Formats: sequence, C-alpha cells, structure tokens
Amino acid sequence: MKIFKFYFILLFLPGILSGCVETNILDRVGLTTLVGYDAGTEEKIATTAVIREVNPEFQSNVEVVTTENETSKGNRMKANRKLSKKIMVGQMRVILFGEELAKDDLHFYIDTHLENASISNSLYLAVVEGETAPLLQYEYKNIDDIGQHIYRLIEQNVKQEHMISSSLHEIAHDFYMEGKDSAMPIIKREDDLIELTGIALFSGGKMVSTLPVEDSFYVKLVRDSFTSGIFETIIQKEDIPPNLMTGTASDMPVAFDAIRSKRVLKLVDPTTPEFDLQLKLKARLLEVYPDVNLGDPKVVEGIENAVSKNLSREISRVIAHSQNVQSDIFGFGEKYRSSVRNSNLTKEKWHEMYKNMKVNIKVEFDILRDGVFE
Amino acid sequence: MKFKLPFKKKQKPIVNTSHNNKEILSPSKIDFIRSIKDATHSPADLMVKSMLPNLTLIYINNLVNDKNLNDHIITNLQNATMETPATIKQIIAIAEVNISSQLEEAITAIINGNVLIHMEGYSQVVLANVSTRESRSLTTPENESQVIGAQVGFNESLSTNISLVRRYIMSPDLCNEEIKVGTRTKTSLNILYMNGIASDQMVNTLRQRINDLDVDALLDSAVLVEMIDDNTLSPFPQMLLTERPDRFCDGLLNGKLGVIVDGSSMAIVCPQSFIEFFESREDQNLRWQVATFVRLLRFSAIFLSVFLTPIYVGALTFHYEVIPQAFLVPLSESRALVPFPPVFEALLLEFIIELLREAGARLPTKIGQTIGIVGGIVIGTAAVQAGITSNILLIIVALSALASFTTPSYIMGNVIRLIRFPIIILAGFWGFYGIMLAFCFILVHLLRQSSLGAPYMAPFYPPRFQDMRDSLIRLPLPYTAKRPSSVRATDQEKYNPEVEHPKKS
Repeated sequence: MKIFKFYFILLFLPGILSGCVETNILDRVGLTTLVGYDAGTEEKIATTAVIREVNPEFQSNVEVVTTENETSKGNRMKANRKLSKKIMVGQMRVILFGEELAKDDLHFYIDTHLENASISNSLYLAVVEGETAPLLQYEYKNIDDIGQHIYRLIEQNVKQEHMISSSLHEIAHDFYMEGKDSAMPIIKREDDLIELTGIALFSGGKMVSTLPVEDSFYVKLVRDSFTSGIFETIIQKEDIPPNLMTGTASDMPVAFDAIRSKRVLKLVDPTTPEFDLQLKLKARLLEVYPDVNLGDPKVVEGIENAVSKNLSREISRVIAHSQNVQSDIFGFGEKYRSSVRNSNLTKEKWHEMYKNMKVNIKVEFDILRDGVFE
Repeated sequence: MKFKLPFKKKQKPIVNTSHNNKEILSPSKIDFIRSIKDATHSPADLMVKSMLPNLTLIYINNLVNDKNLNDHIITNLQNATMETPATIKQIIAIAEVNISSQLEEAITAIINGNVLIHMEGYSQVVLANVSTRESRSLTTPENESQVIGAQVGFNESLSTNISLVRRYIMSPDLCNEEIKVGTRTKTSLNILYMNGIASDQMVNTLRQRINDLDVDALLDSAVLVEMIDDNTLSPFPQMLLTERPDRFCDGLLNGKLGVIVDGSSMAIVCPQSFIEFFESREDQNLRWQVATFVRLLRFSAIFLSVFLTPIYVGALTFHYEVIPQAFLVPLSESRALVPFPPVFEALLLEFIIELLREAGARLPTKIGQTIGIVGGIVIGTAAVQAGITSNILLIIVALSALASFTTPSYIMGNVIRLIRFPIIILAGFWGFYGIMLAFCFILVHLLRQSSLGAPYMAPFYPPRFQDMRDSLIRLPLPYTAKRPSSVRATDQEKYNPEVEHPKKS
C-alpha cells in the first residue's frame, strides 16, 4: 500500500504541476477577426487588426488598431499595449493585403499563417485596392463589425460561385505547387459599401496583374467545375445567327443559371506544350434581351452555338492575358507535370513554357430548359 | 491488478456447529417451555398455550396467522384425542407439518412462524407452519415506469415475487434454488434460471459466489450485488437491479440468471453488459423503427450528459477557436458578467442541480416536486441575474441533467452523473486534451470489466455482429432470433427466424 501511494503521488505530481496550461477564457481575450497588412515605412510591416472586445457595460465593440513593426508577432505585441484584453488570433476569418505589399511578395505571410496552429486554414485571403488601413478605419454607416462583414461578403460570393475561392489552404496549395499560381479576390471601398472588384493574379508570391470581376466566371470555369450560380454574357453581333437577328439590336445579352460544367483537360503535345480543353456546360436560360421564340428548337440551337463561340473566345482571351503576365492560375502546369514523366518541373521552368503554351478550346453548351424562373 | 475486498478472500472459519447444538428437547412440559424461552430470550410476543389434557402450543404471536391457527389447529386438537405426536400430525389440517426432537430445529421453525405442539412425555414436537408475513400489495414499479407494457412491480415478499415470475414463465424448466445468507439475518434468496438455456458454468459461478459469502446480515439485493459482482470497486454496476418482473423474465429467457432476495423489491439479473443497462423492456413492445429511435435518443443523451458541460468548459477556457462564429458574440456576452472561470461556474451549477435532485429524492413526494420546480426556477433565474452563471451554461447543465435521467436503470444514471464531475475538472485543467484523457480512461476501464465472466462491453468488444442487431438499435424480430452470445446460452436460438408472411387475399 505504501509503494502504491508513492507511485500514485509520483504520477499525479507532474500531472498537476504541468497542468497549469495558459488559459484563454473567452470573455477575457480580444478576438481578432480580420488582419490587414500594408507595406510600412522602412521595411516594416504595418498591421491593421479588427479586434472584437466584449464588455459587460456596452454590448460589444470592435476596435481597429494599426501598428507598425518588423514582424507580425511584434505587431501583435504592440497592439496588446493599446488594449485591455489579450489579443488572440484563433477566430481570424480574413487576411487582407495592401496592393503595394501584394506586388512585393506574399511568401512570408502565407508561411507564417500556415505555421500558426491556432489560425484556421479556411480563412480567406484578399487583396485591397490601395491600402488596407483606410478601408478598415473608415466608419461605415451600416456595418457594425467590419471583420465579419468582409468575411460574409467573400464567403457569400464564393458559395454562390460568383468569385474564385481563396482560402488559406487553397492559396498555400497553389503557392507550393509547381504548376499552378494563386489568385485572390480584390476588394475596394465604394462609399459606405465594400465591393469585390476583380481578381488578382499572382506569379509565385507576387501579384502581377488583375482581371475584372466579370471574368471570374471564365476563370472558375477553366479552373474547376461549376455547380451553381448565375452568369450573364453578351453575345456579339458576329456570333448571332442571321435568323435570330431582329434588326435594331446589335448585341444580345443573355443570362443563365444552375450551370453544371465539366472540364476535361488533355495534354496533346508536351513539347510546345499544347492542351485540349473541353468544356461541357449545362444551363437554364433565364433571360434573353430581344424577344426571341424559344419554343423553336432551331432558335435554341442557334443560341447554344452563339454562346459556345462567345465562351471560347472569352476563355481564350482570359488565358492569353494570364500567359502575358506569366501567371498560370488555371493549373495547366499541374496537368503537364502529371502527364510528362521526369519533367522536373519548377515554377521558373513552367513560367517560361507557359508563355508559349497553346490551348485548343472546345465548348459544348446545352440549354436544358428555358422559361423557368427562380 | 484486480482489487478484491478482503471478506471475499477470507476463508470461512471452520466451526463444527453440528455437534454442539444437537440438544434434544425435553419430554417434560416445564423443561420444554423453559428451554424454548431460554433459546429465544423469552420475547414479549412468545405465546405459550396449554391445552388439555397434555398439550402445549408455543408460537410467536406476530408471525402466525391467527385464523389458520384457530380454524385448523386448535379446533382440530380440541375435537380429537391423540396418543402420540404422529397422530397430531395426522389430524392437523395444515399442509406443512413436521416432527422434530431437536431444539435447534424447533427454534428455527418458531422463528419462521411455526407453531410448536408439544405432548407431555414425548421429546418430539410437531411443527405446523401457519406463518404469515406482512407485505404491501403489488403496485406499479416506481423507479422503472414505462408507458406500454405490464404495470406490475416486485414487492418485498419473496414468495409473491416468485409467483409473479412463475406466472410469466409456466415451465418446469424454471429452476429455483434457495440459499440462506447472513449468519444473523438468515435471509433467504432464490436463484432462478431456465434449465436448458442458462449456462451451467455461470450457474455454478453464481451459486459459489453466494455460498462463499460470510456476512452476518443481508438486507437488500443491492448490497448483494456489490458483494458478488466481478469488480466491487468499479462505479459501474455489473448486474442489473430491476423491479420489473417482465424485465426479469426477459433476462431469464435470454439465458441470464436471476436472484430474488427476500425483503427486497429489486431482483438481480446477471450477466449484464454495459449496453443492456440502457435498454428498456419497453423497446421490445414498440415497433422496431420507434424502438431504434428511442434507443439512439437514449445513447446520444448519455453522451450529451457526460460530455456537454466539459466541452463547454474546455471550449471557453482553452479552445475559443472551435466556437462557431455565429455563437461567439452571444456566448461571450452572456459570460461577460460572470466573475468566475468557466470550470468553477460549471461545477457550481452542477452542484446546485445535484442538490436539488438529492433534496427532491429525500423529501416526501409532494414536497419533493415543489422543491424541484421552485428551486430550479428560482435558483436558476436568480443565479443568472446575480451574474454567477451564464444563461447558456444554465441550459447546458439542465440539458445534461435531463439527459442523464433517460437511462432506464436508475443506478446507471447515478454513475453517469457522477463521472461528469472528474471530466469537468479535467476539462478545466487541460481542455479537450483532458476530456479525451477521461474518455480513454473510462473506455479502458469499461473494457476491462466483466459481468459474471461475460465481457462487459459485449457485443462491441469482442465484436459480435449478430448481437449488435439488438443493442444500439433494434432490428425487426426475425433478425434477432438468437440469444446474446455473451451469456453462453446452451440453446442459442430463441425461435425459428424464418418468417412466413401471410398471403395477401
């Protein structure tokens, strides 16, 4: 019994002594919901954090704190000196980057956030047109918690497939993958609202170019498959079959929804390299601007052909743009790497090849039904 | 290492009682009366009645049925003339009549409610059993009520309880062995099992465990369970205590063994696996879809009951990352006024709930209900308004208390409520790591238990897929035609599983 007691104490002492883990009691920490990074003066990082604090007196308030220091952790320490509560980052949902910083290099930021175990990998990354600090510090009339608002804004658009998804997991995946580059949404303040204005194209860790927000549909179409969402396009005059021409209108805006797409990518020639991209789309026709007779199968076929032509032209335009800036956000390189044995692909090598890449686009567009509205 | 209480290991002191007390009764009337009075310490209710010409009746007033005594013994004795005790035995209109000349036997008989009839000049006495036992009438089972099914429960009388069982199982295969336990109380208990279904080995084990007991008193079957089960130190009961005859018979027909103790309204069913404690007899009476739903509800209630409060404590103390964003603001706002850390807050509230439960159980039924409702509402609301606890914790604690009461076995429900406290403390120290630690510890502990040698975690460990059909879920009757394999039944099949569907006309 004596020996038993001895072992009992021996076992429990380290247990109890090492049991003094640092506690983070929910109502005693300030929760960072959003962090914005800007290029600061003299190689420093300027950080703007949106911190939610809970006080028993006033319901809860959101603090926006801007600090400048060499590292992000240093910034956290500096911000701690300004607040009554310990700042924790476990509930962070969005990280924003200033345009200038994004054009420099984001490698360091992706790394630090990926390595921090308490940071969720499903948080969204986005680029801000201009600087992040003014966007966050602005007092919006109808937005209570700016951090949550931006998160909901991006999440809603990603779920609706209006915008490419840019979670930390995906960005890091694209960043560390040889044959793919990352892309993030761009946001901007429009008076009292915040708006998604485009897509930032990255080459490695550097932001090299942008695409207008309308092109996100094409980017998504080529990047991965589509399962829902509304899309609007304008069929140009030369694509419209003559039997549909009603005379006066020169263009023909059409809107589709419930699009189901399937993407088949094939490497046909590894030397150039040359790809065959086959896209199959199924959609519901929601709106056609000039009044056409959709009961006629010939008319429907005409529209299908016109949209196919339109889509392949738009897609080749987007791909050509990305080739110009050497940013393979579609992952053609990944297909190349998985198809060619011992290719020893590196990012630099692929960017060289990407410039000369050829893609043969074939779009099959099916209108499943029409006249059905939401 | 298994801990056993010392009294189980201790050998019975070998005392030869047989030689000492073989005292022969005296043929003389006066000596006989004195010897009986000495042996019973002349209690106030000892009646000595002399009858002409040479008879003496001795009995204990409160133990005999007066009507039987008058109608069948005294009347018969008065109307006849007898020469020997053997003729007395002939004329008495009582079923159970013995003749003995030993003092010990006579004393045992008088204590059990027999009338001693002594005849001057003979050392033999006639023992006529006219005993009566006070017991309450049969009522509905208070602790194990169910909506659909029989509404009768065991009472404290051994003979009534056995007759209840015999009414359910009218079979000559129903074996009934009587054993007396307790050197002072001499409590009779009966082991019941179905010959041809129950495993002989288990019957022998149970019989031996009861026979090996060296205790002076046995007042309730719950005490007996604690003395004879496999691991006395575990908080988890390894034998079922039930007051429902239908559940008892269900166990017997599944090849289990039953023990009924005189003076106790709870019968013992063993071997019992952990899962079976959460099954109710009512599940068999419901359609299988409904029964499955109810069982799953019960099992999720147990998990909720054990882990909900610890998860709250762990999440709020260490892991604020896991709280969903929509929940973050209401949660932290309700916590904002509370001055204590979450673990203290949770323990306080759990303590209050346990206080209310205990107070409600100890008080008379009518007051108990009032205390429960008033105490719950008043203390709950006041605690939140005073800023001692948060609203959300109040809901969580009430929910887990409610969930723990869904367990059909009250004794198991108590264990479920008890093991919550160490888990809350561990969650307060180490967060989710502590909860996992406690979970692993409980799981290992449960896996190590056995019930009468049968695995406690059956049918999940060792995995028996056929038995799982009637465990967490209940499949339709044709799929559950086999008895659980952990009871080692001699006859494995309950019935022919082939169903003959009635033809549609």
